[in-house]
Amino acid sequence: MSSEHNGGSSSQPDAAPGASASSGPRTLAEDLRARDDSALAALLRARPDLLSPVPGDLTQLATRAGTRASVVRALEHLDRFTLQTAEALAVAPGAPPPHGAVPREGAAAAEAPLARLLPGAEAAARLRPALAELRARALVWGPPERPRLVRTARELLTSPSPTGLGPTLAEAVAAAGPAKPAPSRLQEMLAAAGLAGTHDPVSALAALTALFDDPGRMAELLASAPAGAEAVLRKLEWGPPYGTVDLEAPPPAVRWLLDRALLVPTGAEPGGGPGAPGSVVLPREVALHLRGGRAHRVLEPTAPQVAPARSYEPATVDATAAGQAMAAVAAVEELLGLWEAEPPPVLRAGGLGVRDLKRTAAALDVSEPAAAGWIELAYVAGLVASDGEADEVYAPTPAYDDWLRAAPAERWAALAAAWYAATRTAGLVGERDPRGRNLAPLGPGLDRGPAPEVRQRALARLAGLAPGSAPDRDTLRDRLCWERPLLGNRAAARAAQPAGQPPGQQPTQQPGQPSGAAAGAGEADGGRQLRSRLLDWALDEAETLGVTGRGALASYVRPLLVAEQDGGAAHRAPGATGEAVRAVAAKLAPHLPEPLTEVLLQADLTAVAPGPLERELAAFLAVLADVESKGGATVYRFTPGSVRRALDTGRTAADLHAFLAEHSSTPVPQPLTYLVDDVARRHGQVRVGAASSYVRCDDDALLTELLADRRSAPLRLRRLAPTVLASPAPPDQLLAKLREAGYAPAAESAEGDVLLARPDAHRAPPRTPPEPVPEGPPPPDGSLLAAAVRAIRAGDHAATLTHKPKAPAAAPPEGGPPRTVMAETLATMQSATLSGTPVWIGYVNADGAASQRVIAPVKVEGGFVTGYDHTAEEVRTYPLHRITGVAEVAES
Amino acid sequence: MNGGPLIVQSDKTLLLEVDHELAEACRRAIAPFAELERAPEHMHTYRVTPLGLWNARAAGHDAEQVVDALVEYARYPVPHALLVDIAETMARYGRLSLSKHPTHGLVLTSTDRPVLEEVLRSKKIQPLVGERIDPDTVAVHPSERGQIKQVLLKLGWPAEDLAGYVDGEAHPIALEEEDWSLRPYQQQAVEGFWHGGSGVVVLPCGAGKTLVGAGAMAKAQATTLILVTNTVSARQWKHELVRRTSLTEDEIGEYSGTRKEIRPVTIATYQVITTKRKGVYPHLELFDSRDWGLIVYDEVHLLPAPVFKFTADLQARRRLGLTATLVREDGRESDVFSLIGPKRFDAPWKEIENQGYIAPADCVEVRVSLTDSERLAYATAEPEEKYRFCATTDSKRRVTEALVRRHAGQQTLVIGQYIDQLDELGEHIGAPVIKGDTTNAQREKLFDAFRAGELNCLVVSKVANFSVDLPEATVAVQVSGTFGSRQEEAQRLGRVLRPKADGHEARFYSVVARDTIDQDFAAHRQRFLAEQGYAYRIMDSVDLLAAPDPEGTGSAGSAGNAEEPDEV
Repeated sequence: MSSEHNGGSSSQPDAAPGASASSGPRTLAEDLRARDDSALAALLRARPDLLSPVPGDLTQLATRAGTRASVVRALEHLDRFTLQTAEALAVAPGAPPPHGAVPREGAAAAEAPLARLLPGAEAAARLRPALAELRARALVWGPPERPRLVRTARELLTSPSPTGLGPTLAEAVAAAGPAKPAPSRLQEMLAAAGLAGTHDPVSALAALTALFDDPGRMAELLASAPAGAEAVLRKLEWGPPYGTVDLEAPPPAVRWLLDRALLVPTGAEPGGGPGAPGSVVLPREVALHLRGGRAHRVLEPTAPQVAPARSYEPATVDATAAGQAMAAVAAVEELLGLWEAEPPPVLRAGGLGVRDLKRTAAALDVSEPAAAGWIELAYVAGLVASDGEADEVYAPTPAYDDWLRAAPAERWAALAAAWYAATRTAGLVGERDPRGRNLAPLGPGLDRGPAPEVRQRALARLAGLAPGSAPDRDTLRDRLCWERPLLGNRAAARAAQPAGQPPGQQPTQQPGQPSGAAAGAGEADGGRQLRSRLLDWALDEAETLGVTGRGALASYVRPLLVAEQDGGAAHRAPGATGEAVRAVAAKLAPHLPEPLTEVLLQADLTAVAPGPLERELAAFLAVLADVESKGGATVYRFTPGSVRRALDTGRTAADLHAFLAEHSSTPVPQPLTYLVDDVARRHGQVRVGAASSYVRCDDDALLTELLADRRSAPLRLRRLAPTVLASPAPPDQLLAKLREAGYAPAAESAEGDVLLARPDAHRAPPRTPPEPVPEGPPPPDGSLLAAAVRAIRAGDHAATLTHKPKAPAAAPPEGGPPRTVMAETLATMQSATLSGTPVWIGYVNADGAASQRVIAPVKVEGGFVTGYDHTAEEVRTYPLHRITGVAEVAES
Repeated sequence: MNGGPLIVQSDKTLLLEVDHELAEACRRAIAPFAELERAPEHMHTYRVTPLGLWNARAAGHDAEQVVDALVEYARYPVPHALLVDIAETMARYGRLSLSKHPTHGLVLTSTDRPVLEEVLRSKKIQPLVGERIDPDTVAVHPSERGQIKQVLLKLGWPAEDLAGYVDGEAHPIALEEEDWSLRPYQQQAVEGFWHGGSGVVVLPCGAGKTLVGAGAMAKAQATTLILVTNTVSARQWKHELVRRTSLTEDEIGEYSGTRKEIRPVTIATYQVITTKRKGVYPHLELFDSRDWGLIVYDEVHLLPAPVFKFTADLQARRRLGLTATLVREDGRESDVFSLIGPKRFDAPWKEIENQGYIAPADCVEVRVSLTDSERLAYATAEPEEKYRFCATTDSKRRVTEALVRRHAGQQTLVIGQYIDQLDELGEHIGAPVIKGDTTNAQREKLFDAFRAGELNCLVVSKVANFSVDLPEATVAVQVSGTFGSRQEEAQRLGRVLRPKADGHEARFYSVVARDTIDQDFAAHRQRFLAEQGYAYRIMDSVDLLAAPDPEGTGSAGSAGNAEEPDEV
């Protein structure tokens, strides 16, 4: 949306009508202009979307701050009480107090109506900070004594109001459309309510409003209501304020209410057409009276506390988390180790196929959701990506190699930082998007904008508990719901729309496009559900990753949280987190076990590494033995196959013995020594190679001579046995070369027989000769020729016979089109062109349909005739060859 | 990281460092729920399985205890997922229980209605249950008590059997502990079994399983049916019971191919009760012939499949399974669990050896290089004949003879699979051969002569695999086996593990043809023993044949350089 062209005018809605220039800013822009630079900076920090692009001036900034998309976004970042304050402001009476002039007593007096809507000491204490916050976010402006909600926000918060309050009486009557009461009806209402008549509808409504606003008189009025009337009102009291009644024949109680404008007809169609969602509405003033002035049924001025569910020793928490951290690093390494050998293909729609996910999960020995989690983690950490080749596959990135070289603690810190900020949610994998497509890991559709904020807020709350305390998840959920009651509504709505993002899109920050959807109830539900799921995922992932241990925050993660809070979710500078990552790694390192250099070798041909091994040792041991069990320790099993694998890498038995002896903390068991020796003894005993031909001779002296012969050098002969030479040259070439060199070799068949020099005369199996495919038709025979000549003659004869001029036939009696030969048609046309007389033609169009038309030819050239078509009444062009005949039109 | 002896792996194996100072305490803490899988010299491997966890639940342990044991002794933090999984698995046990209802008889009750709904929806459960008594209870036909337990276990919702046991017909039985007494571990095994009601006791061969059976009978004080593998074993049970308990010859009946006696204590062979004539099992009546108070299954790991079926109908009686290993070559461990009962006691083989109750053994694998002509013949043999061929080569026979000669004067058993080979060996060595067609009378005569020392060497086929008590056998030479059977190897080693009068070290030779399928099978067979802590020494037949004949003292000729166990 461009804001330039309407920048000046669109600030008008937020102008304060009737306010004197001296009493304060007249527009939001003016209000902003009055703020100092730090306040503006705070505004831009809180609402970073106002910065893209950077507004030209404050008017533009104000305009943009008033756009719907931006306000919706700003509301999402309010906590529950601030939001409730905004909601109350939206329904608070906008007109100046009835006592006339604007009070000059200060803010306190102006806050009175707000304070009535938000009762309670706690609310009173929190009201001013809440207003300040709204003001800082440019959602509220105006003089301190008269805070004004930005118009867009007011609209958003009154259509409908989340408080369940309906429109004011005046608004309800104005919106009623066809059901709008006639002035006489208003006077009747005044009378019914026991008020004096007035002169016009406006003052009548004002009188009624004044009555509704007066608790004392209102109580009297309601006391006189017939039975059931109050029940009807109470039903609508907390919203939604709309109800459906039979307006034609309302029950007495409802009639009584309608007669006093305590219920106002909305004019909506009975079947629920456009407009209000019911046939009557409870005016806001009446509802407020019923509520005793409160805007909210439950006012939540203070944040609910997160209750610790269990407490552990902080050391236990750190140890548990560090164990998971170690496992996480190992899992990612194993995953990518797997994928670098067998990279899985990228689906055409992007993402990893179900079968590849299954296979990966099986190879990692984890469940599929867990595998998806590791895959996504590696992805957001930039360790794996699609290679972009023609047959696209996922493969580790060069960053993976750097990552591998880092110390375990650094590796983990990099993963944790990536996870912390990621908008991708592995928890969605396996579900379907609104179009019914499977959500694949690494595929599109997994981004959920609010995910990092939920994650960060959850961890921040964890950090707020005593060290070692695991939170009660429900209280944490409540707390997050209080902190950001609207967060995720848009994201949930977007995810529910079948509007998929382009495949393969990199994870982005909050996508910039505004959501058109209104903050409806379904959306709020979706948002709550999304928040709740995001929280569950965040906590579960934190545990798996080792960010938490037994549900409590690990101490070594704190630097990450601090850095994030400073930076803010929206402006993440890589440098800032880089420092935090290093701090995390430094604090984690002492919790990780030292790599070992020795293993325990056992007589059952296993080796146990009772802890993580040094990289090189682990790598070679994994070649020399099969890994049987992983975890804190690793169990290896030596098998003939595994020992052979090690020998295949070029080690000798002596190398292996030395290796085992060096890295074993106990004597090498005898069966293992035997195994190595046994396999080594047979390793390479049988050799396999490729040769194209061989030379065989019982006289090995001759073969020696042949080998020594310089002319046979190009044949690259190699002695396999005393009587056998092999060559990579093909047998016929070998034969020829040897013959050239003066030997008399004989060729051998596969069975070892000597091949005779005389080649077999080769025969094909019986075949029928091919049918000829002549270029043209077969030459004609005599009879055909004769017949043809006869026909040509006859035709010629016929042509010459029609020499006699024949008057063009007038319309044939039966009305058929005229038929003339081409030459005659042309001549007639040309003469008609000169004379300008119309002619009558028979015409066959491209579809073969014959028709007759009358034309006045204008031009005949290039095989076309152009003329005025009297039949079609326009100038047309006809190809001559489609004209079957022409006749002059008889002058009438 | 707290330096504990236990490492918990993410694949649910537990590695216990044996030499750690807390190893013993840790072993005790994890034994209730983890199965010992391997016990080599440095690191024992336990596995946490659903069966093991349910065993623990059955024994009254809860998930908290299990988690605490792991967390307390673990060297590294325990994977979170594993703890969650343990808690979830353990929570599955006991949601369903079988119990006696005052009016409806046997009922299946649930504390968790959705679980009951889930299992009732299973096609396999539907025929086993009767009417729904209330939302949480459904009637079960008493005859299906075993079946339903089996099926529920397969569905992953093992039922707790609280329906109790019938006392059976009372019969006084007492241990006569005059010159002997139950060893501590035997006592613990009896207590463990009795406390649990039904279940399996795992003890190594030679550790006195018969006495555990006798102890259980003395507890039950009721008529007892003992199921054993064969007649020889039946006779030994009888002999042992007469010697160790107040029972007399007349109170013990033998129900076998030759005799069909039913007495207060009846010993029957698997063979006879699984005999099928015209599609029916004629000897099934045995189970109903008396009101048995206790049923003892000897060598549970060999229990033939039909016996499981009969056992399913015997769920109201106390059942004691005795075995050296829960490993079954047919993988029916879960049937043992659901039908006989959870494991109630086990003690690692090596541990009992360390306590001096079974003889230490020196296991030697002798690798025989085949001659060139034998190798060629082996290469061209039909695949199904390959094992037989390499297991019975002349080279092996020569090495076996050399071994027997070397241990001349010691009680030696030569054990093999193939009759031809055994006959030939017997002829060359000059020793009698016991095989399938040897009569029982002849067998017992030979065994007696062997026991008395009149005979120094016996050649036996696999008929002697089980329950042959040859107390003074000190050397066993295995020339061929039932392919890669691990439990057979354990049984055979058991032949020489009985405590020797002079504390002489036992020696177990396995003669293996190098570079053949024989060697692969041997590796497979040995794995079980190696995992139990019996390290195999490997010896080259060339060294053996070349070594001077040291006239009987086995250790002098051993070419291996592994640590020699304590010399006598």
